[in-house]
Amino acid sequence: MTAEPMAAVARHLEPPHPEANRGLAIPLVGMLLFIASEVMFFSGLFAAYFNARANAAGHEWGPPAPASELEAWPLAAILTIILVTSSFTMQFGVWAIRRGDQRALRRWVGVTLLLGVLFIAGQLYDYSQLGFGIGDGIFGTTFYTLTGFHGAHVFGGVVGLTILLARASSGQFSAQNHVAVEAISFYWHFVDVVWIALFSILYFLR
Amino acid sequence: MATTTLSPQAESYRRSWVLDWLTTVDHKKIGILYIVNSFLFFFAAGLLALVIRSELAVPGLQFLDAPTYNQAFTMHGTIMIFLFVVPMLTGFANYIVPLQLGAPDMAFPRINALSFWMLPLGGILILSGYLFGGAAAEGWTGYAPLSSNAERFSAGVGTDLWIMGLVLVGTSSILGSVNFITTIFKMRAPGMTLFRMPIFVWTVLVTAVLILLATPVLAAGLIALFIDRNYGGSFFDPASGGNPILWQHLFWFFGHPEVYIVILPAMGVVSEILPVFSRKPLFGYRAFVYATIGIGLLSFSVWAHHMFTTGKVFLPFFAFMTALIGVPTGVKMFNWMATMWRGSISFTTPMLFAIGFITMFLIGGISGVILASPPIDFHLQDTYFVVGHLHYVFFGGSVFGIFAATYFWFPKMFGRRLNERLGKIHFWIHFVGFNLAFFPMHSLGILGMPRRVADYDPNAGWTIYNLISTVGAFMIAASVIPFLINVIATFINGEKVGDDPWEANTLEWATTSPPPPHNFDTLPPIRSERPVFDLRHKHDAEHLHDGEADLVAPEGGQP
Amino acid sequence: MRGMVAVLRLRTVLQVGLLVAVAVLLGGCLIPPEPETTEAKATFGLYIVVLVMAAVVFIGVEGFILYSAIRYRRRDDRLPAQLHGNNLVEIIWTAIPTVIVLVLFVLSISALGTVQAKSDHPAVTVEVDAFQWQWTFRYRDDDNNPDNDYSVTGSAAQPPVMGLPVGVPIRLLLHSQDVIHSFYVPHFLIKKDVIPEPEGQPENQLEFTITQAGTYAGQCAEFCGNEHAAMRFTIQAMEQADYDAWIAAGRAGKSPPPAAPSGAAVVDLSAHNIAFNTNSLQVPADQPFVIRFKNDDAVQHDVAIYDGQTELFKGAIVDAGASFDYSVPAIPAGQYDFICTIHPTMSGKVVAQ
Ligand code: HEA
Ligand code: HEA
Ligand code: CUA
Ligand SMILES: [Cu+2]
Repeated sequence: MTAEPMAAVARHLEPPHPEANRGLAIPLVGMLLFIASEVMFFSGLFAAYFNARANAAGHEWGPPAPASELEAWPLAAILTIILVTSSFTMQFGVWAIRRGDQRALRRWVGVTLLLGVLFIAGQLYDYSQLGFGIGDGIFGTTFYTLTGFHGAHVFGGVVGLTILLARASSGQFSAQNHVAVEAISFYWHFVDVVWIALFSILYFLR
Repeated sequence: MATTTLSPQAESYRRSWVLDWLTTVDHKKIGILYIVNSFLFFFAAGLLALVIRSELAVPGLQFLDAPTYNQAFTMHGTIMIFLFVVPMLTGFANYIVPLQLGAPDMAFPRINALSFWMLPLGGILILSGYLFGGAAAEGWTGYAPLSSNAERFSAGVGTDLWIMGLVLVGTSSILGSVNFITTIFKMRAPGMTLFRMPIFVWTVLVTAVLILLATPVLAAGLIALFIDRNYGGSFFDPASGGNPILWQHLFWFFGHPEVYIVILPAMGVVSEILPVFSRKPLFGYRAFVYATIGIGLLSFSVWAHHMFTTGKVFLPFFAFMTALIGVPTGVKMFNWMATMWRGSISFTTPMLFAIGFITMFLIGGISGVILASPPIDFHLQDTYFVVGHLHYVFFGGSVFGIFAATYFWFPKMFGRRLNERLGKIHFWIHFVGFNLAFFPMHSLGILGMPRRVADYDPNAGWTIYNLISTVGAFMIAASVIPFLINVIATFINGEKVGDDPWEANTLEWATTSPPPPHNFDTLPPIRSERPVFDLRHKHDAEHLHDGEADLVAPEGGQP
Repeated sequence: MRGMVAVLRLRTVLQVGLLVAVAVLLGGCLIPPEPETTEAKATFGLYIVVLVMAAVVFIGVEGFILYSAIRYRRRDDRLPAQLHGNNLVEIIWTAIPTVIVLVLFVLSISALGTVQAKSDHPAVTVEVDAFQWQWTFRYRDDDNNPDNDYSVTGSAAQPPVMGLPVGVPIRLLLHSQDVIHSFYVPHFLIKKDVIPEPEGQPENQLEFTITQAGTYAGQCAEFCGNEHAAMRFTIQAMEQADYDAWIAAGRAGKSPPPAAPSGAAVVDLSAHNIAFNTNSLQVPADQPFVIRFKNDDAVQHDVAIYDGQTELFKGAIVDAGASFDYSVPAIPAGQYDFICTIHPTMSGKVVAQ
């Protein structure tokens, strides 16, 4: 098995391969694919929600009386604002590090992290106020499952942001090298979008 | 990437080899871990199958009571699919895909290791039900509300462990698919254009996409199931507004793509082996790629053919889409046939198993199309005809493909070739036993024997078929013995063969056997889907002209 | 050389022939049970057509593979022509399966129409109640009071019998009290899942018209837990008159006739003018059998079997004009007496061998 060594070696020694240079960085491709699978996961839960609504056709749809999740919607609206804002602060962080501004990166990631924590806290408070539980009929089940798993994803994002902040503080990122920041930002935006879908469907589509 | 794979290797001589294997991130070692792990689970699930067959050999309950029997077929089905076939094919993909792409490793070596180690854990969780008052016993399809209402119908943690284990296994294969897709799109060697990729890589790519989009839906369903069982949820509880049929939709939306997840890579294996031992290129490379993509797309629009008898689905649509999948699959069949046509065929063990695949999968495919006709399915659904169908595609398809791959790539992995005589003995016992075990099941189903029954009516005239099937099952078991002997003997003093014992076509044969940690010192030029073939026949005038043709149209396409 | 090829051709022809023979043989064990409803006949016809199509594809493909495997096995080191593909044949062999699929689809859908047809006035409507792990069959009658409907609930030891008239449309309303079951009668080539519906959702229904009197085994076909295998039942299809008597007996609270064990021998017996139509019954020894008793008389009769003084069997009383299937437990070989206990003058010999 003799190939033309020189040519081949030459080819082999140009890491990463030319194909890899074109388009997105490898970790970002990975993150996007992972997000695609997450989209399918939430689609499954949403399918369950709409299926339940379809079956409830005729009877009124919503939380068991007297509790009404509508009373809580202003709080949910505030949570929405918090999360949407956090998406912007995250993006500011990304732009900052693209400019190579490490201090701005730290600041913006810090703010995003704070807003994330705030969101989770607000969500938990919301749960404590709602007069019904996951076991109280199909609405409760779907409501808590959807919001709960979204909350879990926010928590995952918060963990990611914490690590990001730590690495940023030790100055690991530069204008050239900050794939992790981009990756986490993709994920954070995704979590945000899911919430917007949740909010509009759970609270307004009725 | 390369450096991350090199480091553990570099210092491995300082570590114990055990630690080395436990911590490896080398795609080749991980691939071998996958394969060994899968074989162990195959033996476990196979032994369960023998238990099942022994119970069914004659009417009456001889060995088991009903609950034990129900656990047996549930574990058998679950383990065979989720911990044998899928991980086994993933294992080969892990070992072979980077080599066939001329890549130094997978895109995410550490995630690769992580997704492997989730598997044994998940498998042990699923089986551990046996230690805690009984494993899950609702069938591998775990239909609600039987599975979703723990208080009334399925008490015991067995089912909960089954759910947790499956979520773990699912996560593992999702991470794996992310890794494969990224690798295939970003790690190809120079010159390795998409349409010069080996068919096996193509099938792995489509499979990975199916896993990425289908498995999360199963995860969602399983979590809903867990909530219903443990937190008073009512997703599937008709009494409080839920809907049992929802589970079937969620499960089969995953379940049908799943069956192509287990067959496509096996088809890829066959498409690598047939050309090598027919000494011809795969006929209609491009058509084959499109057929694979076509199957992938269609597989998301047919799931309700498992629900024809629920009276809750729109029959004409799903019946048509289902039968339609026969068309791209047919294209593959015919391309394989045309590849052998006018070839120069040598009957090595890998080739025997590959031919076994196309001849046996055909039967499973045809029985599938028969089931796709709703009125006929009304009779055959949930009878042994379906059990026959699923074994002809799983065993006659995937498992034949797996053994073909084992015999084909063993010399690449270990530098030694498995003994051919023992291999042929293995094949023939395996082949005959397989047909004895599973063909009679079609007759049983047509006569009306339902599946998932521990006992049956002695006057129904089913006994003889069951007896034959049991004999066949034990023949299959026996065929495993020459295989195991073969493997052990080959490790002790198997025939040492060169880097390219089969005169094969694809890049994995362009490096040493076994390959170095970084896979390649040199890469041949890649001008077609058969770079190693082109290299071997560089000076073969009659072919050079072909090689030029390759340059113009790598896939051939036009004559 | 040429001679060799000729021999080879012959061999392959034989081999293909063998393949065909085997296929035909196997085809033999791929025929469904005799279809006993008008719907089943449609399915049966469809199935046979599909089976033939399948056989053609099977033999064609397997034959081709076998042929090339033998004809083109490696003989020397010469490299065969490197044929990469041909778009025309690709189109052809995409088109052929597409046509097959379309034909299959059209046939299936038209058969489906027959199988799922609904009559607006079913002659008999039975509510099928499935539960872990048995069935209750409740016969709807004209008054809307379910309490006085005749209903039978089975047990694992004594599976329920659903008596039905032949030649008229039957409708089953399928309800489940717990998990999903499936109502399956192989001889009718049909099953339908019995689902615990969310309230408000319509239940599954099953309609058929039985064409042939007889006893047909049925069973739950959806895995429903431990005793899934024990969820058997029997459908006893009778002529209208017999059915009327049967359901009358049932409504009158008399024990509904037990099912004839499938495959058991059936001997006919009738009564007229205070006399049986025969004075000797030939029955199999050591296995249960059925006496299909037709009372063509103006008065009630029954049938009992005695070994000397010891009673081996005593059947329920059958009204004038009614019929009844007595299923008699196994009796050892020998000679016995059978009589009508109401009219001891009516008697004869039972010969078991
Ligand atoms: C590897 C796995 C695998 C594969 C590849 C397939 C392939 C197919 N399956 Fe199968 N199937 C299963 C695994 C698989 N199946 C399992 C596990 C179940 C049972 C699940 C359970 O309930 O436990 C099942 C059940 C199942 C059902 C439901 C049965 C029931 O429960 O009522 C149906 C119904 O339509 C079906 C159809 C098909 C069809 C049409 C194909 C097609 O893809 C087949 C296509 C192939 C061919 C047609 C042959 C080659 C083609 C030609 C030679 C061309 C000419 C021929 C024609 C055009 C007809 N399958
Ligand atoms: C890839 C998938 C796969 C494979 C390979 C098999 C392989 C086999 N299967 Fe099964 N099977 C399924 C997937 C598979 N099965 C599924 C999905 C179901 C449906 C489950 C459900 O209804 O929920 C099913 C159901 C099923 C049933 C129906 C049960 C029922 O409905 O009641 C039966 C019955 O005979 C059966 C039999 C067999 C047999 C005899 C084998 C044989 O081929 C097994 C051969 C292998 C061996 C015999 C192992 C050899 C090992 C040894 C001999 C021991 C040596 C050990 C060491 C050296 C450590 N299987
Ligand atoms: Cu009821 Cu199975
Ligand atoms: Cu399917």
